[in-house]
Amino acid sequence: MTDGIKRRDFLKVLGVTGAGATLTACSTGNAERLLPYVTADESITPGVATWYTSVCQGCSVGCGVWVKTREGRVIKLEGNPHHPVSNGALCSKGHATLQHLYNPDRYAGPMVREGGALRQISWDEAEAMLAERIQGAAGNVLYIGRHTGPTMSRLLDQFTNAVGGRHVEYDAVSDAPLREATRIAFGADELPRYNMDQARFIISFGNDFIDGDAPLSWQRDFAKMSAVDDHGSKGRFVYAGPRLSTTGQNADEWIPINPGSEAALALGMASVIAEGSDDGPYASVLAAYGPGAAAQAAGISEDQVRELAERFAEGPSLALGPSAGAHHRNATAAHLAALILNHVAGSFGRTIHVGGGLQTAARPYSDMEAAIRAMAGGQVGVVMVRGTNPAYSLPEGSGFRDAFAGVGFKVSFASAPDETSAMADLILPDRHWLESWGDSAPRTGLMALQQPAMQPVPHFDAKQTGDVLLSVAGRLGNDLGAATFFEYLKAGHQSSYDGSMGPFEDAWRQALKTGVVEHGEAELGGAPDLRAPDTAITFDAPALDGDGDLTLLVHPSPRFGAGEFSNAPWMLELPDPVSKITWHSWLEIHPDAAEARGLREGDIVTVASPHGQVTVPVWVYPGIRPDAVALGMGGGHTDFGRWANNNGVNAMTLLPAVAEQPSGAFVTLATKVSVTPTGDHRRLAKVSGSDVQAGREITPAIALSSLGHGGEEGIPPEEGLKELQGGGGFVPVPADGGEPQAFPLEGSRYGKYADSENRARWAMAIDLDKCTGCSACVTACQAENNVPWVGEQQVMMGREMHWMRIERYYEHVDATQAGHLDIRHLPMLCQHCNNAPCEPVCPVFATYHTPEGVNAQIYNRCVGTRYCANNCPYKVRVFNWYRYTDAIPDPMNWQWNPDVTVRDNGVMEKCSFCMQRVREAENRVALEKRGSIPNDGEVIMACQQSCPAEAIVWGNIRDPNSRISQVVHSERTYRVLNEAINTQPAVNYLKKVTFHEVASGEHA
Amino acid sequence: MATATERGALTHPDVQTLAEVNEDVLRPLSKPGKGWWAMFALAAAGVGLFFASWGRQLVQGIGVSGLNEPVGWGVYITSFVFWVGIAHSGTLISAILFLFRAPWRQSIYRTAEAMTVFAVMTAGLFPLIHVGRVWHAYWLIPYPNSRFLWPNFKSPLVWDVFAVTTYFTVSATFFFLGTVPDLAAARDAATGLRKKLYSIISLGWRGTDSQWHHFGKAYIFLAALATPLVLSVHSVVSWDFAMGIVPGWHATIFAPYFVAGAIYSGVAMVITLIVPMRKIFGLEKYVTIKHFDAMAKLCLLTSMIVLYSYLSEFFIAWYSGEVIERASFWNRLFGPYWWATWIMLTCNGLVPTTLWFKRVRHSIPALFVISIFVNIGMWFERYVIVVTSLHHEYEPYAWGMYRPSLTEMGILIGSFCWFGFWFLLFTRLLPPVAIAELKEVLPAPLRKKEAH
Repeated sequence: MTDGIKRRDFLKVLGVTGAGATLTACSTGNAERLLPYVTADESITPGVATWYTSVCQGCSVGCGVWVKTREGRVIKLEGNPHHPVSNGALCSKGHATLQHLYNPDRYAGPMVREGGALRQISWDEAEAMLAERIQGAAGNVLYIGRHTGPTMSRLLDQFTNAVGGRHVEYDAVSDAPLREATRIAFGADELPRYNMDQARFIISFGNDFIDGDAPLSWQRDFAKMSAVDDHGSKGRFVYAGPRLSTTGQNADEWIPINPGSEAALALGMASVIAEGSDDGPYASVLAAYGPGAAAQAAGISEDQVRELAERFAEGPSLALGPSAGAHHRNATAAHLAALILNHVAGSFGRTIHVGGGLQTAARPYSDMEAAIRAMAGGQVGVVMVRGTNPAYSLPEGSGFRDAFAGVGFKVSFASAPDETSAMADLILPDRHWLESWGDSAPRTGLMALQQPAMQPVPHFDAKQTGDVLLSVAGRLGNDLGAATFFEYLKAGHQSSYDGSMGPFEDAWRQALKTGVVEHGEAELGGAPDLRAPDTAITFDAPALDGDGDLTLLVHPSPRFGAGEFSNAPWMLELPDPVSKITWHSWLEIHPDAAEARGLREGDIVTVASPHGQVTVPVWVYPGIRPDAVALGMGGGHTDFGRWANNNGVNAMTLLPAVAEQPSGAFVTLATKVSVTPTGDHRRLAKVSGSDVQAGREITPAIALSSLGHGGEEGIPPEEGLKELQGGGGFVPVPADGGEPQAFPLEGSRYGKYADSENRARWAMAIDLDKCTGCSACVTACQAENNVPWVGEQQVMMGREMHWMRIERYYEHVDATQAGHLDIRHLPMLCQHCNNAPCEPVCPVFATYHTPEGVNAQIYNRCVGTRYCANNCPYKVRVFNWYRYTDAIPDPMNWQWNPDVTVRDNGVMEKCSFCMQRVREAENRVALEKRGSIPNDGEVIMACQQSCPAEAIVWGNIRDPNSRISQVVHSERTYRVLNEAINTQPAVNYLKKVTFHEVASGEHA
Repeated sequence: MATATERGALTHPDVQTLAEVNEDVLRPLSKPGKGWWAMFALAAAGVGLFFASWGRQLVQGIGVSGLNEPVGWGVYITSFVFWVGIAHSGTLISAILFLFRAPWRQSIYRTAEAMTVFAVMTAGLFPLIHVGRVWHAYWLIPYPNSRFLWPNFKSPLVWDVFAVTTYFTVSATFFFLGTVPDLAAARDAATGLRKKLYSIISLGWRGTDSQWHHFGKAYIFLAALATPLVLSVHSVVSWDFAMGIVPGWHATIFAPYFVAGAIYSGVAMVITLIVPMRKIFGLEKYVTIKHFDAMAKLCLLTSMIVLYSYLSEFFIAWYSGEVIERASFWNRLFGPYWWATWIMLTCNGLVPTTLWFKRVRHSIPALFVISIFVNIGMWFERYVIVVTSLHHEYEPYAWGMYRPSLTEMGILIGSFCWFGFWFLLFTRLLPPVAIAELKEVLPAPLRKKEAH
């Protein structure tokens, strides 16, 4: 090259001019937003997640969480395995609190209502205004709020004392009856602690601990109890209640007792067990409620009561009283009866303990009643509401709206609009719990800290209520001992610190790091003595209002709680674990009752009680008594945000405002209703295409009595494992039944697959005996993988995007056998078939098999022919029919996981086996020079992490010592449809184990 | 063996002179009537609807269709297969019947070929309409690229690309080649701009011996080349389904079944198109009842094959004893889409049995009505195969319903207009009957016998 321009020079010139052109093309409009870290924060490595511990404030339970942040934004929550309340699990609602953090409907800042409209003001003005009003209220200040930790409660006490007034803690869902029953029976103002894993027999009298508002550790213990163990035995779970909730669906046996007859049945069982030998304070009660009376009250046979009692007496056993969805007018009595049953059967000290000091944050309704009376009586000058939404969650009959409206100055600390803040004069938006400090004390000796995991979301000028109160107190001349809530919190812990963990600063740092501090567990008592009741208690079935012919069951929704999550699209789009309906409300009705009224699924009816009426579509459900109908909470919001408003109906409309005596809990099972068809019909936004398996082996079960006999059940372990290890996208099955040693086939060792034997082969196992269908995994997956929601209309068209779904099938067992409705749950996700039907049909290789045996989907190669989805027998592939992600408003997109591509219009997507997590671990392994395959347990799938039942196991099946290899070595192992179509899935299922015989073929 | 004269006398007894042929066939190419303009306006409006609907889908996303999971294919694929099927009889009539020297093809093959080309042009749009990202549809074509990415030759969709493009190329070439002598005739009759245009596209045809010699050779070679395509293209289209494991698709009978169905629907479409054309352009002399009788017989034969295929599918589903397969076919007959299946069985199996009767075969109104039934039935056949199979597959929880949207309907109706648009232009611009070939079979121009 001697003449002309040289290639290298040419490239140089091209590079410089190109860069210049790019620079000049840069817009300066948003330059200030593009600034990188000028001084890099040494704690932040771009691309590497930073984790914080905290305490979930989604409901009153207080589960410990790990908060995953990336580049300063919270993107995911995971259960903190060191926290005894959650034991490492996290429920759907917990995940959805992220959508409260980034809720675009949050208040932009402090607001004052002027002439009906809200005007944003500065915090200084707002606090001054509040201080002035409090001064003017002359000591008549009322604070209504949900319990959010001991330090906040202490501050509120101090504040209301200082300014003159009082504070009332209120939560729509409470367990006051249990607490009151425990107080009556044992004189302890606490909740009993359950050790479900120690039990072999559990009876739930309408207790829905899987449906939410209960510690996730219960579910974990329950799974240990009910799943078949190494010795081939499993505990039995009986559900006695009028409706099968998610909890009820997991029962081995359902006794559809009359609503409100829990106490009679529990006492009847207790009297059978005691056989008249009981001489405690409740001897006369037991004598009065014999098995005959119990049978009559519950509407079952006396033999059934005796049989239940006998099985219960075998022990160790546990009886659970009704939870919030079944709180009737005698709920305390029902809990007391359950405690008596536990006592008589000797469960105390084994499966149930008192003396552990277990507290829950939920407070009863009766305190609220008093507050409403005070407001209505004009005794309140300033009312402040925080963390609760009584204008929505209390029925009209409570008088809250009128009383509240009559108060001179109404302050709301709601961070996003709700029905109560819509009536407030001043709105002082609180920070989300992920932006603020706090603590929780779930039981004596246990303390967990809640710390901010990110800078407050800049779209919203929010301030932590603790800081506001301290500042307002300061303006009023009251020094509460600290300028900020953080100092207040830290000082409080410092003053109570016992020095057991070295210097306080070290202990504090340690507490922030682990998220939980145990100051030693309280001594758990053995079997305490029962006390005679100190208050009037009646164990009879409660009176119900109205003369309708159907009992109304109003229960907290597993997705919305009492309505707090109704504006979180993840929760709206999560199919209800029971009905599989998304978005809107529905009325559950028994097939017989529906037929008698000429109703079919989707017919719209008017439900009328003496207190109000709603119009709602029906969903026909065989898991409810023919004389009852059920309606979940959480629908019918009017001022709660763009997704919640005008969606569904508010069940509270039908209820009276009654406080249970003596606990003061809000009564949910209070009234009878009539159901009249309106003649209208709608298509339900339901995702289940069938309630039955139609003779296919989708979720086969195995009878406990058949376990351990080997034989035809399950795949022969050795051969099965070899098949699974095959991988590489080639067919590892010998068509002629030849030797399985041939795996992987010779033909599979070419190109990229040449060394696939030296690589991992990822596989999953899901134990259906543990899975409860709670759907935590579905939301976890959605949060991890940027799975969009699509909205009610799109769901109705069959376009939901979930990468994982919980299939629910009914098996109608012979009615003469126990538990005549056997409900099966099956988490369905991409099966990562070795012999994947989707792979050969893709014309552009957008889906292919990785050498690690994963069925990969390359979004930006996808043309969108949808042949793969058609050819997928499991129907786990979902398509982007629109730009669903474009519809996600700012700042909700801040939650997106930067490690996962956000998919465009017109491409197919599906479960990736959390490949980003695998890659992250592989990178770490490579950096640490540990070979190429992460250790077993180093990579955890998002679904697996959240699962409260620990039903999901994932790992390298080529490693014979990995947990997955151990788990699939079971006679219960099967793979869905593999026998029929030889897809060779990498996802293995372990059959559910039933007590009843499973007929081969039909109920296979 | 019958001589040309005898054949011509058999099929076209009313044609007297060769000049008459030119005159009659070229007449439609002169001034169009009001009727033509009205139909053309309607078709053009439909084309507008077609592109407006497609445009809406491109802007908003394919969600404007009624497609979902599990029914990922619907009206678009149904219509694709329908139009590919329509395209089949053209080549069958022109190529296979040419090779077999069937005496009745001359009068109709031009129309059939035109129909083929326009039907493939319509069909070819549907895969593009149907994919999620049409702007990347070229990835299905194997072309050298910097990323060394190739299409997946295992995928029947890639075979489809080859099959349809090949078919279009060959049938368009065949069609054009066959028209060259007639274009020259049109050129000779035309004046002005038309004359220039015809001069160009008639490629300087002068009707010399040597030209006729080469023309004849080329035509027979192309006919031979096109013949296997008649069988292969629709076989490949059928493999779009048969290669899948979807119950209701995965059957070895699909290739012959689809080919028979394609010829069936194609012949029916030829009848549908020729009946009005013959009437409007006064071609009764050239397309006679004998032609219709022959087409009706072909219809009857293929309808019997198609009906046999339906019945054998149902039988095999039952005979297999396979739960899922049985459920799929039971659902086809008695499930939520029962109406589509029964429309298919009635239109394709029952209605054509009337063709056993000579009276029906010789009644042009009856044939017209039957051909419409067959067109409807064959569209529904594809709808039944695509939709009823997908909506009721392996996983019961994932069963679902598909309801076509207005956009899909707009595109479906628009596709008929798009086809009609081209066909109407054809009737105005090209001789609708093959003049040269027709003349070959007509008796030599003799003076008329005087009556004694």
